Amino acid sequence: MAMNFDLRSSEYVTNPVIRYIGYGVIAMMLSVIHVVFLRFLEVSSVTPDLLLIFTVWIALVEGQFTGMIAGFLCGLLFDFVSTDVIGTNALAKTMAGFIAGYFHRPGFIKETIGSARFMMIVAVSGFVHNLIYNFFFLRPMQVSFLMFFAQYGVASTLYSTVAAIFPMLYVARKKE
Amino acid sequence: MRGFIEFVVRFKNYITLITLVVMSLSLMSIGNLSKLGGFRAVIVGSIGWIQSVFAWIPNPVALKAENTALRELNLQLAVEAARSRQATLENSTLRSMLRLPALTDYRLITADVIGKTTTQQRNYATINKGQADGIGEGMSVISDAGLVGIVIGASEHYAILQLLINRDTRVSAKVQRTRVDGIIQWEGENTLVLKNVPRTLDVQDGDRILTSNYSPRYPANIVIGIVRQSTDEPNTLFRRIVVEPAVNFSTLEQVFVVDAKVDQERVGLERVVDERLTNRTAP
Repeated sequence: MAMNFDLRSSEYVTNPVIRYIGYGVIAMMLSVIHVVFLRFLEVSSVTPDLLLIFTVWIALVEGQFTGMIAGFLCGLLFDFVSTDVIGTNALAKTMAGFIAGYFHRPGFIKETIGSARFMMIVAVSGFVHNLIYNFFFLRPMQVSFLMFFAQYGVASTLYSTVAAIFPMLYVARKKE
Repeated sequence: MRGFIEFVVRFKNYITLITLVVMSLSLMSIGNLSKLGGFRAVIVGSIGWIQSVFAWIPNPVALKAENTALRELNLQLAVEAARSRQATLENSTLRSMLRLPALTDYRLITADVIGKTTTQQRNYATINKGQADGIGEGMSVISDAGLVGIVIGASEHYAILQLLINRDTRVSAKVQRTRVDGIIQWEGENTLVLKNVPRTLDVQDGDRILTSNYSPRYPANIVIGIVRQSTDEPNTLFRRIVVEPAVNFSTLEQVFVVDAKVDQERVGLERVVDERLTNRTAP
């Protein structure tokens, strides 16, 4: 994943077609990993949202516009591989990409991702993402939105924020 | 036109956001299109296949949770089974107790045993009925199995029973088959002894022992137990007859107090005659 932000002079980064294909492949891999393997990391039915972290990553590297589109496509991909209503994750991740895009600072990408700032951005984007997702997820049910969000939405946001420490540490190490 | 393009370029992020939001909401409403559904079915099927390929990998957290749930279920079922067994036994006991009043002419007062000692030389039991329920001293106590003992003390709401397995208990008894009389006594452990039965009289293992008509304290024909061993006592003219009590005192829970007090007239007459005979034979 280092190709997404690192070595701006390299051919990988400067060639947007290859870069975007790389994003697509990574998104597909993360979707499958999320659905197949994340059950091993499940804590009280809560798992970290890898595609959300990836959306935030793209938004910070590429900017708000690309971040939104990446969020939409990642969400759509996840809607297809999971049993969610199609469009729910797409909408939530679009908003996450939109919010994360506000923190995009060209020329300071490594500084942003390789610091605690990245975790903070994941937390903010994740909170909005889960707020929207839970709203549409619970819409057909007779369940209290606030109770459910407080239990699962906040927990999922925290878990995703904690999981964001791994890409953050990876970039921080590369930075040194 | 240029103005429009400039507007789009300037606000492209917001326009894109609105477009994507509208697209997402549209997808939510048309998510059940057949073509989309078929495509999705293929993807979900493929994911399911991948999941099945890796299904052999154990998930310790899920296994632990499943184990805990199964243990709880097992515990609940064990409790349920114990309750069921208890209910079956209680049902059987109560059914046989229900039949008992029809077999006797006396009025029976039902009571629960709320305390007892069965491991001492003098064994007693406490029941939850007393004088307020018509229970008085001297009344005999039975269960669906047979003779339990006699009331030796009663308060307003409780009564104390002297059990058959008590050193002080003496019961006038008879062998049901041959009408041979004797005295039932307890000499410890779990069996009774039928005394004062001459060697020449017919008593066999398996004979049923009942209360005799001669006793002023106990109603006649109440089952006491079954003869388990009958041997000649050395150096005497009597037999030693071991009787297994019909009542299991260690599991005794419900009893009937027989509403029939000691016949004072009969006891008085017998005492007077006994004293007269004693005086006549005295030197």
